[in-house]
Amino acid sequence: MAEKVLEIRGLCKDYPAFHLKDVSFSLERGRIMGFIGRNGAGKTTTLKSALNIVHPAAGELKYFGLDFAENELEIKRRIAFVSGGANYYPNKKLAAITAVTRSFYGHWDEAAYRRYLKLFNLDESKTPKALSAGMQVKYALALALSHGAELLILDEPTSGLDPVSRDELVDVFLSLADEGVSILFSTHITDDLDKCADDVTYIRNGEIVFSLPIGELREKYCAVAVTAEQAEKYADKLIGCKRAKEGFTALVERGELEEELPGRAAGLEEIMVHLDKEARDDG
Amino acid sequence: MAKLLKKEFRLFTHPTSWMFLAFGAMVLIPGYPMYVPLFWVTLGLFYACLSARENNDLYYTLLLPVRKRDAVRARGLYFALMELLQLLVCAVFAVLRMALKIGPNPAGMDANLAFFGLGLILMGLFNLLFLPRLYKKPSAVGKPFLIVTLLVFAYIVAAEVCCFVVPFFRDVLDTPDPQHLGAKLAVLALGATLFVLLTVLGVRRAEEIFEKVDL
Repeated sequence: MAEKVLEIRGLCKDYPAFHLKDVSFSLERGRIMGFIGRNGAGKTTTLKSALNIVHPAAGELKYFGLDFAENELEIKRRIAFVSGGANYYPNKKLAAITAVTRSFYGHWDEAAYRRYLKLFNLDESKTPKALSAGMQVKYALALALSHGAELLILDEPTSGLDPVSRDELVDVFLSLADEGVSILFSTHITDDLDKCADDVTYIRNGEIVFSLPIGELREKYCAVAVTAEQAEKYADKLIGCKRAKEGFTALVERGELEEELPGRAAGLEEIMVHLDKEARDDG
Repeated sequence: MAKLLKKEFRLFTHPTSWMFLAFGAMVLIPGYPMYVPLFWVTLGLFYACLSARENNDLYYTLLLPVRKRDAVRARGLYFALMELLQLLVCAVFAVLRMALKIGPNPAGMDANLAFFGLGLILMGLFNLLFLPRLYKKPSAVGKPFLIVTLLVFAYIVAAEVCCFVVPFFRDVLDTPDPQHLGAKLAVLALGATLFVLLTVLGVRRAEEIFEKVDL
């Protein structure tokens, strides 16, 4: 059985207008997990709670089989959290930020850092403020990857990036996974996950709806296009039926309505959109 | 802790802090409230905190392999070091004032050993009152500083008034060194003890508060 690098069990957090409810999922070594959900679903709160940046009300956090509260320092040396880009010390030169960051990691790999600077075309004499959003993410990743992080937790790393940069990052993620690095990244750009994710965890209104290998998820649903009459006729079998440019679209579980409504493989975005629509329709 | 402290000096320190340290030279002004240079160091710390908020310093710090309480402890230690540095600069100019025979300070307390003891208490009070307030809501720096400055100002007024109305202050503590050396050294020792005690209490309280704060 593959080693679990991250186990979250029963994570709860209460805000006046939002509750994270019993969030549980796990990630195995060398796998890439997409953490999806609409804006405000609880992705960032979950990730921040997993690092005690937000103080969870309850829950158990384990990294590499170690309890987070008891092994915070060791765990933080072995992981990296990147939220957006390098949105700190915007007027300091990258070289100055790196010099301080480097000092906290005994196993800092300067050669790797130089390699990533070159790969990402980063100039150390620039400040974060002078970098584009995409370049800020790349700098934050360069820092994360240079201390040999075994687990990368990335909050919306590809938001704000152009398609080419996003594709480059996906390539980097795939290479890292090949080297045994695990990656958990939240996003609402599901195209990126279609290209690289092994597992998908879907959160809605602070609750985990599913956490599955992406293959299982694709086997579970297919997408169908239906007319208004069909939408009405098969209403109880259609999941998250919604208007499209022409007619309606919905998900159906594989094995259902196969003869009446031939479907096609559903993309992650379709699955997320239709499941969310279904939940809203149910109340 | 050494790494965090290094980070505080390299990233957290506001440039004005170094300029405000030089204001220790105000001790040379013949008639001037000697506590004013001590206020400047707190202003430098406030600017650093303000700048840290704009620079997402806490967020950056917590992404490093450190605990929340270590981040608070390093900040408390940094505060204490900057305050001691300010007192040291003031002490250098106080010695120079003596050498230049500028004479007693008609505006209030002389820059003598007792003044440094009372100054240490002032700095300790600042740390005790400001650090917990700062970490309670890290996004709000101005309000805690305003409240604490008013309280510290009240202490300064009380200490200065004592120099005119309380015989022990007027006749023993507010005299040129080395007169009444024993009493002044006792105040200095008391100040040093209270500075450490109040700072440690302020840091501990801030640690407890910050542990529950969400960023």
